[in-house]
Amino acid sequence: MVSKLNTPGQRYMYRIRNLPLTLIHPPKGLAPLELGKLWRYRDLLYLFVWRDIKVRYKQTFVGTAWALLQPLIACLVLTLFFGKLARISSGEVPYPIFAYTALVPWTYFVNALTHSSNSLIFNSTIITRVYFPRLIIPISAVATGLLDFAIALLILFGLMVFYGIIPTPALLTLPFFMLMSLATALGFGLWLAVLNVEYRDIKFILPFLTQIWLFATPVAYPSNLVPEKWRIIYGLNPMAGVVDGFRWAILGTNPPHIPLLIASITVVTILLIGGLFFFRYKEDTFADVV
Amino acid sequence: MGNIAIRTVNLGKLFYLNQKKRGKLRETLEEKIRLSLKHLFTALSPDAKKNEKKHPFANKHIWALKNVSFEVKHGEAVGILGHNGAGKSVLLKILSQVTKPTEGYAEIHGRVGAMLEVGTGFHPELTGRENIYLSGAILGMTRREIKTKFDEIVEFSEIGDLLDMPIKYYSSGMQGRLAFAVAVHLEPEILLIDEVLAIEDISFKEKCLSKLKEIVREGRTVLFVSHNMDSLKTLCNRAILLERGKIVFDGDIKKAISKYLSGNPDAKL
Ligand SMILES: Nc1ncnc2c1ncn2[C@@H]1O[C@H](COP(=O)(O)OP(=O)(O)O)[C@@H](O)[C@H]1O
Ligand SMILES: [Mg+2]
Repeated sequence: MVSKLNTPGQRYMYRIRNLPLTLIHPPKGLAPLELGKLWRYRDLLYLFVWRDIKVRYKQTFVGTAWALLQPLIACLVLTLFFGKLARISSGEVPYPIFAYTALVPWTYFVNALTHSSNSLIFNSTIITRVYFPRLIIPISAVATGLLDFAIALLILFGLMVFYGIIPTPALLTLPFFMLMSLATALGFGLWLAVLNVEYRDIKFILPFLTQIWLFATPVAYPSNLVPEKWRIIYGLNPMAGVVDGFRWAILGTNPPHIPLLIASITVVTILLIGGLFFFRYKEDTFADVV
Repeated sequence: MGNIAIRTVNLGKLFYLNQKKRGKLRETLEEKIRLSLKHLFTALSPDAKKNEKKHPFANKHIWALKNVSFEVKHGEAVGILGHNGAGKSVLLKILSQVTKPTEGYAEIHGRVGAMLEVGTGFHPELTGRENIYLSGAILGMTRREIKTKFDEIVEFSEIGDLLDMPIKYYSSGMQGRLAFAVAVHLEPEILLIDEVLAIEDISFKEKCLSKLKEIVREGRTVLFVSHNMDSLKTLCNRAILLERGKIVFDGDIKKAISKYLSGNPDAKL
């Protein structure tokens, strides 16, 4: 068959006969997630990530430095106020690395959440002019932050060497908790991104929200400061489970409180799946409203 | 199966005018509380029935398209005519799947490339080279396609040495040329083009027009929105005239243009 396609005319007719058919119709109810379609558009996902990283490192000439400094400065502040002044006990490990270990997933989470929440608005011109699965946008926003995450993690390994912390087998669970922080950022990010399209003040509320959130997360203090019977409720904040798990994986101390961790995992799962469907449900209106 | 490229059946698109208004969560909550209090009071008041129908946003909607049905065969170049707000852009947005119709349906046989506005996806901080890849991918080209067409695109755009400069340093004319160069190298068999010939540079405009003519001659299907009657006449044999979301004429391009020009351009809703 293919060998007969010698002239442009023949090739053209062959192409026309094998054209894909697209049906366009009004939105009907709950849309399927179409994760297969996301896979077909992975080039675009890669490109959005590449664009955001490139632009950021061009705009702020301290681009890389900022990725290093952000958690380090936060670590310094926490060490000063919580470690030295308030004398929060960090157990067997020195307070600075205790805090920094938590700040790595926390900083990633805050940045990824902020980016994904604003992602639909930042990309509004593209959304109103080109078709592609919109899920690509918030997903690329949380993926972009992984570079900073990796850099912060390298510094963390450096600090481990400096403080003479020897990894335990718990380190093998680190990828799981990294994935969980990504899922948490995306889970919340999907909801907020959609709401942000309709309610533009989400953007201004978010910084306050994350500030309060920080205190509801065991970043500056250990989670065993929370009374045992409250920990499962405390775990409803998925970042509590992430930070606890992260600390255990790196420092090898205090394994996560199981009910707390289960609560966190449950919340993330529900939030993420719900968020994906909510996003798909609202997706058709983005181009008209954004 | 025939050789239909596009078929639309009773396509309609409804917009609520308050939809576009960017609300604030706080205001919306306040409004909701205020309205529900108000509803509560009116419901409790003796003439509740009389007030019932007065929904605050009732009637504030517009059918941007209504009962739009037409067929386009493979290889046809069709102009879309209509005054501002007639629904031309909405039609192309539905056909390129950017937005969904409210009613009716459409069938598209083939891949669609859309130039709904040149420069889609351009980022001012990135260089011309980077933007060619970015915009090309956003418009639906694969990385391989862009690579093979890269030199052609650069040559067409006439940006020369500026290729590796951030495009924020380009003049707007130059950005337009680059954007058009990328868009015009799209492969798909169906092209939707919305007012991209609003170029000031006359010689470049000629070049674009002849490139578009070439695309039509290749036997690709083109839907072409333009306010430039001369270029429409050279590109298309057929045109669809839209008025307030409805098709009022579909046929010979010259008749369509004279009908379009005889209509009062100030006629608005
Ligand atoms: N996102 C939107 N929200 C509300 N109304 C819209 C939106 N987009 C278009 N409209 C309305 O639909 C009508 C058709 O618009 P459009 O297709 O852009 O016209 P044109 O023929 O000039 O391209 C106009 O009345 C416009 O105000
Ligand atoms: Mg228009």
